[in-house]
Amino acid sequence: MKATLEAINQMQTDGVIGRYAIGGAVGATFYLEPAATLDVDIFVALPTAAGASLLTLAPIYDYLKTRGATVEDEHIVIGGWPVQFLPASDELELEALAEAVPTAVEDVGTWVMTAEHLAAIALRTGRPKDHNRVLQFIEQGAVDRKRLQLIIDRHKLTGKWKQFERRFLEGTHG
Amino acid sequence: MDKSKIRARLSSLSFSEKIKILERLRDRDQAIAASGLRKKAKPQRSGTTNRLND
Repeated sequence: MKATLEAINQMQTDGVIGRYAIGGAVGATFYLEPAATLDVDIFVALPTAAGASLLTLAPIYDYLKTRGATVEDEHIVIGGWPVQFLPASDELELEALAEAVPTAVEDVGTWVMTAEHLAAIALRTGRPKDHNRVLQFIEQGAVDRKRLQLIIDRHKLTGKWKQFERRFLEGTHG
Repeated sequence: MDKSKIRARLSSLSFSEKIKILERLRDRDQAIAASGLRKKAKPQRSGTTNRLND
């Protein structure tokens, strides 16, 4: 992972990507116990040319392929880890990037989304494994419930939250 | 040690230590996948094929 993050940081220095943050299962591992995952989700702000409206990952792929990285389906393998670059494309993801927490892996600086943003994005994605992650955050007290509620309200996830509460939290204390 | 204590202990590790665990889990998963153990573990009914495992 160290080599992976060094390469991503170099991309940032070289202006290929803007701000970035680790999300998904690896991001959740910052707050919870480690859970097996095969890839790393990197949410990125992409620099856009003046007048351009389309977000494209092509510059990332071109940059990395010329440096020996290989493409496997929707992933690009960097430092032994399949990485999925996800352009931050809405208010929730842009806010998650802006408020990401600085940290380090073996002395390599990086950013991880806040627990509340990881939970909100998982709630919105809504697959069984995402619901399981939200439950873990709540059951282990890894999220600030008031802060999570504000994010849910701000990004119009109240309906999904109510469904989640009915299905998974009714009858529990939290 | 009960599960909640194990979880709490694992959660309290540094991010670097947790990433090392993730890497070991990933390597183990890849080794199992490469060995074909998962396919062998799944019983096959005679005369049928399991296309999901192809």
